Amino acid sequence: MTEQVDRRSVKVAHWFRESLSFRNVSSLYLLVVICIVFAFWVSAKFYTVGDLKTILESQTATALASVGLMIPMAAGAFDLAIGAEVGLGVVLVSWLLAKAGIPMVPAIAVTLIVGGFVGLVSAILITRIRIDSFIATLAISSVLTAAALWITSDEQIVGLSSTFDKISTQQVFGITVPVYILLGVSLCVWYVMEVTPLGRRVYATGGNIEAARLAGVATAKVITFSLIACGVLAALAGVVESASLGGGDPTIGPSYLLPAFTATFLGSTQFRRGRFNIWGTIVAVYVLQAGIQGLELAGAPVWIPDLFDGVALAAAVGLARFELRSESGAAIRRLLRFGSTRKTGRNSHDVEGPAGGEVA
Amino acid sequence: MSVPILELRNVSKTFPGLRALDRVSFSVSPGEIIGLIGRNGSGKSTLVKVLAGIHRSDRGSEIVLGARGRMGSDPEDRPQMHFLHQELGLVSMLTTIENLNLSNDVGKARILPVARKRERRRAEELIGHLGAHFDVTKPVGELAPAERAIVAIARVLGRWTHRQNVLVLDEPTAALERSGVITLFDAVRQAASDGAGVIFISHRLDEVMELADRTIALRDGVVVADLATSDCNYDQLVRLIVGPDVATEQHQFNRDVGKPLLSVRGLRGSSSRGSKVRVTSLEVRAGEIVGVAGLLGSGRDELLGLIFGSRVGSVSEMTIADQNLGRPNMRTALSLGVGYVSADRARDGVIMSFSARENLTLPWLRPLTRHFGRLDASAERYDSKKWLGMVGLQPLKPEFRLMIFSGGNQQKVALARWLRTQAKILLLDEPTQGVDVAAKAAIYDLMLSAAREGTAVLFSSSDARELAALSDRVLVMCDGTIAKTLEGTSLTEANIVQESHGFV
Repeated sequence: MTEQVDRRSVKVAHWFRESLSFRNVSSLYLLVVICIVFAFWVSAKFYTVGDLKTILESQTATALASVGLMIPMAAGAFDLAIGAEVGLGVVLVSWLLAKAGIPMVPAIAVTLIVGGFVGLVSAILITRIRIDSFIATLAISSVLTAAALWITSDEQIVGLSSTFDKISTQQVFGITVPVYILLGVSLCVWYVMEVTPLGRRVYATGGNIEAARLAGVATAKVITFSLIACGVLAALAGVVESASLGGGDPTIGPSYLLPAFTATFLGSTQFRRGRFNIWGTIVAVYVLQAGIQGLELAGAPVWIPDLFDGVALAAAVGLARFELRSESGAAIRRLLRFGSTRKTGRNSHDVEGPAGGEVA
Repeated sequence: MSVPILELRNVSKTFPGLRALDRVSFSVSPGEIIGLIGRNGSGKSTLVKVLAGIHRSDRGSEIVLGARGRMGSDPEDRPQMHFLHQELGLVSMLTTIENLNLSNDVGKARILPVARKRERRRAEELIGHLGAHFDVTKPVGELAPAERAIVAIARVLGRWTHRQNVLVLDEPTAALERSGVITLFDAVRQAASDGAGVIFISHRLDEVMELADRTIALRDGVVVADLATSDCNYDQLVRLIVGPDVATEQHQFNRDVGKPLLSVRGLRGSSSRGSKVRVTSLEVRAGEIVGVAGLLGSGRDELLGLIFGSRVGSVSEMTIADQNLGRPNMRTALSLGVGYVSADRARDGVIMSFSARENLTLPWLRPLTRHFGRLDASAERYDSKKWLGMVGLQPLKPEFRLMIFSGGNQQKVALARWLRTQAKILLLDEPTQGVDVAAKAAIYDLMLSAAREGTAVLFSSSDARELAALSDRVLVMCDGTIAKTLEGTSLTEANIVQESHGFV
């Protein structure tokens, strides 16, 4: 009896240690370090409660775009049009409200539908015409940039209705509405990706598309779904951004590209051991922003955010690769240490033995 | 006879739990063509890898390279060993001239413009020397397979800076038509008459008899024969590689077979994709295990994928579980209860980054789905414990990622998923490829018990022993067609080997 309890407590302790290990949640530790460093460096200015709230609220659009991007990335499809999709959302909703005079709710709905349609077009290019997702979405990205310039005639759109602007300023319990939108979207995405068969199939497609196909997963449909979802969320990010800008700026899209990719890759190193996942992505968005914000407050020159984004992207991808490689190695070593499973270790040698070699 | 150009003395190679090569000794003289024969797993590939320096031979082994003396373990330290594998290592977008000169511009003038005329003349000389004539300015990808092989040999020849060379040809003819084989053999004979020692490895015994001066047979890592080819006949060679113990063993099955679950007529592979498969008719009944035998390039490795619909092909008539299909269609096949396990686990068999549990349940998530599309985590855990336990997953850790299991255990998971869906028809491509002995036995048990439950099992294998041990019938493929069906008393290991080699 006591032995059983003991074993359970060991298990819980093990789980606890694993969950809090540096590898698993490194960016949370990073966040703490950033807070401490900047608190000392620029003590007076940095990290008052107000600052934290500003970071939280200012990054909702980036976070929405990153969450959207996370879905096709999990399905193994790159969406390089993510920035342009956000940009299109920004100008489209502004144009519909200010120039076309459409009421707020239909304007937002149309924007989201157009975002989904853009994802559908990317998906058709990738799954039907079989263009590599990298190239297909790069092309789409340029087309969308052109569309944004055409809609706005390369000018800022201003004078949106005050009810629309209110979306970004209206507070509930002291926090603005977009944060709740992000929370709601995140919960939905979490549910779909982690709890439903669809999410499982998305990860299967990203894990090994051929194996998934042979196991009966409709991989083309999965990729299509993921890109449509990404398009809708990017458009939603555009709507939120437009509300906080109070207008439409045709040049804003590209600035979302790098932060979204950095966040999804860095997020993949968190919590789920190399798998793209929602909470890792969101945490990564805020860790990165905290770093940039701190540097800016410390009086860093204007080129720092770009430098930071670039270095962080390379570091995040490198970390993600390391995570995938090192885990299998570590796990094998762990297995070999178990006496009972020594057999498994020996078998793995056999693969390169004559039986395996002969077949090649 | 002159001094041997290559001599092996007591070369052994031990893998954990397996003696792949056991004191192999033989020698190769200049100008001599040695045929090396043996079945899958007899140690041929290991021997090639030892010679190439990929594997390190055991202590006490000695490999002497003519005048150069003992060969070290460094792969760079054997410039006179030349290897030609089935993948020829040519760049298909470049022309013959460019391929021949890829490694030749070392030293001087690396950045000077290449001397086109001279290079072309040299390429034509090398090709012509081997008795072949074709356009050397065409991209290699557009050449016939035999011509590509000649380019590869010519490249090896062109690199020869001295006369003491050994050329190792590992299954060079698998992808070739008969006329191509003749062209290639002429080239090999020419290389030998230039003073090279040739080791020719092939499954096709007739080719070995045609080309080799001397034949060396390997069985279970031991040289069982080393004789002049003119002294032996075909049956003798078959007996040599099969071994005396199993040659006449035949097997008796009294399985109850039911109605046909799978029947296919007029199956054709897509010839535009280089498939030669033409199968007139094929039928598998409930409770029956049917094996598919055949050499590399016989279409054995394509047949199941074509039936399943994961490879492009067509049929004139196809019935799966009483349903007519106009053409092979993977999704329809899956919905009718067909399960397919591919030969290449890592490429398209399983998802390495998924846990064993996730791999298991992927094809059939519906019974685990509750309201609002939620997957019932505890039901899934229960299912995975049950099925992975049944197939004997070692260690039984459904949450571990698949990449950390051994090949045999990965294969068990791949099988378990279709047992879980209660597939009526199992198509298994090389189910025991790269799997150790214990896991092999477990997989055989699973196949047999599935058949007892009334599943129709169709499996392909390169191992004649397991084909003979498991199957009610064996279809032997040759050049894309089913050349022979072995059953009853004629279903023996020796017959499978003999029929596969395309000799009547």
